Amino acid sequence: MEIFNFETCMLFIGFLMIIAGCYCMIRTYHMLKIIIGVEVAMKAVTMFLILAGYVNGHIGLSQAYVITAIVIEVIVAVVFAGVTIGLYKKYGNMDIRNLTQLKG
Amino acid sequence: MQIIIYISLAFMLIFCIMAIMSRSILKSAVFLALASAMLGVIMFVIGAVWAAVIEVSACSGLVTVIFISSISLSKMKKEDIEKRYEDKKRMAYLPFILIISGIAFISAAILSRDFALTSIAQNAGEDFREIFWNTRQADILGQIITILAGGIAVFVLFRDERVTR
Repeated sequence: MEIFNFETCMLFIGFLMIIAGCYCMIRTYHMLKIIIGVEVAMKAVTMFLILAGYVNGHIGLSQAYVITAIVIEVIVAVVFAGVTIGLYKKYGNMDIRNLTQLKG
Repeated sequence: MQIIIYISLAFMLIFCIMAIMSRSILKSAVFLALASAMLGVIMFVIGAVWAAVIEVSACSGLVTVIFISSISLSKMKKEDIEKRYEDKKRMAYLPFILIISGIAFISAAILSRDFALTSIAQNAGEDFREIFWNTRQADILGQIITILAGGIAVFVLFRDERVTR
């Protein structure tokens, strides 16, 4: 069928990845698992940007956007990992429920 | 060529689900790296070569190293992690949610007419380097500021506590 070309399949799988990433962010209490959920959702967004560029014939422009998105993704992962290590040093685990006890 | 995209898409979704549902965080990080590699393959086949290179080197390489460094700094046992977070029980509904969502998406696409997404234009043959360095200079400035902000944030998080006399 025409509907199951690879562009539409990429759209479907991107939506499913965003749902999976959001579910992971909502359900877990482990800080690193939350970063993994963010990364999964960001991968879908990256794929959407490339797909938009491919569909409209501006793949060069979409690559520039994707590189910006990748830089932001890496910085978010680095800062979250730093917060995670700080949390572990203070409380001995990576449970985000401990973040409510922070002061100052 | 399209068969590579279909296979990579399927593997990417499987690796993402395994990264989320895996009990071990180390395995999750490895599966996330594999999902990034699959996304890099898709980008390469579509024609986004530069983005594919950066995706594989930064997301599949650097982020995995950051995750594994964070995991190696913590010394919690696997049993304690499972007991504390109960991820196996909490993530058990994910496959059902994805199956229901997938069926809903496909049903909506079949029921609505003219849904199929097809490329409407030929590739304009843009030079990526021209766009990146000349047209999108504000993006480069934003990236530099973001990297500096991230560096300062990590420095603040890891600095030693000041010794008070």
